[in-house]
Amino acid sequence: MKQSHGNIKKHIHTLSCGKVYEHLCDNLDAKLDSESCRRIKAHIKGCKNCSALLDSLKKTVYLYKQYPAPALPEQSRKKLFAVIHMEKAKKRPAR
Amino acid sequence: MTASLDSHNDTTLIARIKKGDERAFAQLVKRYEQTVWGFAFKLCRNKEKAEESFQDTFINVFRKIDQFDSRSKFSTWLYTIVANNCLMNRRKRKLEGLLESLDEAPDIENEDVQRQLATWDDSPVEVMMNKELREQMDAAIQELPDEYKVVFVLRDLEEKTAEETAKILKLSVPAVKSRLRRSRIFLRHKLHGLMTA
Repeated sequence: MKQSHGNIKKHIHTLSCGKVYEHLCDNLDAKLDSESCRRIKAHIKGCKNCSALLDSLKKTVYLYKQYPAPALPEQSRKKLFAVIHMEKAKKRPAR
Repeated sequence: MTASLDSHNDTTLIARIKKGDERAFAQLVKRYEQTVWGFAFKLCRNKEKAEESFQDTFINVFRKIDQFDSRSKFSTWLYTIVANNCLMNRRKRKLEGLLESLDEAPDIENEDVQRQLATWDDSPVEVMMNKELREQMDAAIQELPDEYKVVFVLRDLEEKTAEETAKILKLSVPAVKSRLRRSRIFLRHKLHGLMTA
């Protein structure tokens, strides 16, 4: 259901920054179309500070996502199967 | 022969492993080794510890495969094992009080806070990923208590839903959301000095 521009404007004023902060972190890129989500998005759009806070949180997450992870060392795999082989030998009933 | 196992779904592979099929286990490792390695490294931030966690996880899978209920999702069970390995060495929760204080909204009417928020605007993240930043990022995330770090990694880096994260960690969804919020704010606060330098 679409909201009129007037309604959105009203929501900016009825939602406090504190209330927005509580929900700001739930889902930074929420594409949900619930009433509360629309209200929060409308507030952020019109509030410079909440918008800056959201942006800095997104950048924080983005930085951690970009952090390069090293490749799995080949010897780890070999070591694992050596241990598994021993485990299997232990499991086998003695003759 | 291994190639033919490629097409088997997890349930079939696990049924074969339960019957003692070693090749099926090798196939399962191949399928999930990057997932386990990536998750372990993001949690440990250290290659040696990640390797240890990698080994322990798959050894646990091998030992406990009979306990796995095939009606559940295998990856959820796997993530639980890696997380438990990490949490076994949980540190004292010395930051618990600080993290709880992050539930309060910052005073964004305050001029200092406004200045802090504005400065992030101009930081191009692409040029920031240098050695110094990586070290700071490692230090910041290592300061988070493990039970917070694991939520941040699962939700934001592994992109699990709040519901799946809750299932993996056996937490409620509100607890996941609360820990995620505190973790993000804490990390943001820790990186602030670099973003504004």
